[in-house]
Amino acid sequence: MAFITMQNIRKSFGNQEILHGVSLSVEKGEVVSIIGPSGAGKSTFLRCLNNLETIQGGSIWVEGDCLVKEENGKVVYARDSEARKILGKMGMVFQSFNLFPHMTVMDNLLAAPIYVKKMKREDVLPTAERLLKKVGLWEKRDVYPGSLSGGQKQRVAIARALTMNPEIMLFDEPTSALDPELTGEVLKTIHQLADEKMTMIIVTHEMAFARSVSDKVLFMVDGHIEEEGTSEEIFGHPKSERTQAFLKSILR
Amino acid sequence: MLDYVLGILPNMIEGLGVSAQIFIIVYVLSLPCGILLSLVRLSRLGLFRRIAEFYIYIMRGTPLMLQILFIYYGLPMIPGIEIQIDDFSAAILAFVANYAAYFAEIFRGGIQSISRGQYEGAKVLGFTYRQTMWHIVLPQVIKRVIPPLGNETITLLKDTSLVYVLAMNDLMRVTRSIVQRDFDTTAFIVAALFYLVCTFVLTRALGWLEKRYAVYED
Repeated sequence: MAFITMQNIRKSFGNQEILHGVSLSVEKGEVVSIIGPSGAGKSTFLRCLNNLETIQGGSIWVEGDCLVKEENGKVVYARDSEARKILGKMGMVFQSFNLFPHMTVMDNLLAAPIYVKKMKREDVLPTAERLLKKVGLWEKRDVYPGSLSGGQKQRVAIARALTMNPEIMLFDEPTSALDPELTGEVLKTIHQLADEKMTMIIVTHEMAFARSVSDKVLFMVDGHIEEEGTSEEIFGHPKSERTQAFLKSILR
Repeated sequence: MLDYVLGILPNMIEGLGVSAQIFIIVYVLSLPCGILLSLVRLSRLGLFRRIAEFYIYIMRGTPLMLQILFIYYGLPMIPGIEIQIDDFSAAILAFVANYAAYFAEIFRGGIQSISRGQYEGAKVLGFTYRQTMWHIVLPQVIKRVIPPLGNETITLLKDTSLVYVLAMNDLMRVTRSIVQRDFDTTAFIVAALFYLVCTFVLTRALGWLEKRYAVYED
């Protein structure tokens, strides 16, 4: 069984169905990109995986553990403790960073290990230090997020997610809120993670980046997967007309 | 003139002491009550939310004076309750009940101004609701509510003068009796100065707090 299996996910907001049965499987160490026009449901799909959205149909399995499944046509979520264990394997990075503005950069990294895992500050410090250096922001450890650039904020957010030692990282349009000249530093950091064989799902509008980093690419449109394949298949030889049209419009 | 002021000063300082006591006790008690009430007011459980809403409506919709009088004179007369409490406790109880409602609304506004992203950011890191509120949301709320809290703080200081209806010897009542006794309004001026000095100190303290929280941007 794959590391992540999402089967036939259906999601509605009110009466409007946003996802019409979307499936995805991710192997350990694999990098999957989800591309497609705005409003296709890419972010919503990703948010279903880590329980930020509740689904109306389908099932989600992580390393053989069930987060949610359908029983007799009814969606059943795992018990809270079980769900916590599953969700603990995932780290997430948002478009809007969601750093904690009242904490210094260092405290942003330390918060979850200390408050959630109840670890001692001195035991987490080495990890936090290593991660801040890794994203190249060690010298910013004592400043508040408000004084950082967007690119720096996002790198802190990545480091913060990594302090919890996730087995998979979810990126929800990590560069969409950034000025164009700042996207490079963030993409470089994500690339670095890919080189270290981190399992990742990335929702992005950066086509060149998706092409170079991904093992698998999903093209989503109108709440379903229009086409799925290797990076080369999707970007080099797209089969679907909609994929072709989309790539043409965006790569122009 | 100076001799007269020095003569009335001891009594007035004693009155100020009573007012200050009420102010401090009410402030310390009503702030946590207000936070708790705001959380109930924002609860997802409809019944609790309604009760909190109704409570806040009653407390803000009727005069504090009436609430004080009701707790002191009214409670003992209600069949089945018939609690008689001393004037000081009655005053504290009424003030806390009333100010908790005002504080709750201020905190509610503060809590609702925190973006959903903060909750999501905490949730994906494994924070429980309680941990999120305690470590992430409330610390940020404090910064945002300092200005409106400052208003209420100064209002509370002046509102303490309402306890004169329970014949407690607070600054206002002492002042009034001095004026009536001596047919001299100097005491009013002295009382005004007392209140002004207190508000000055409070304003400064709040300014200091605001500055302390200004180290980070939202």
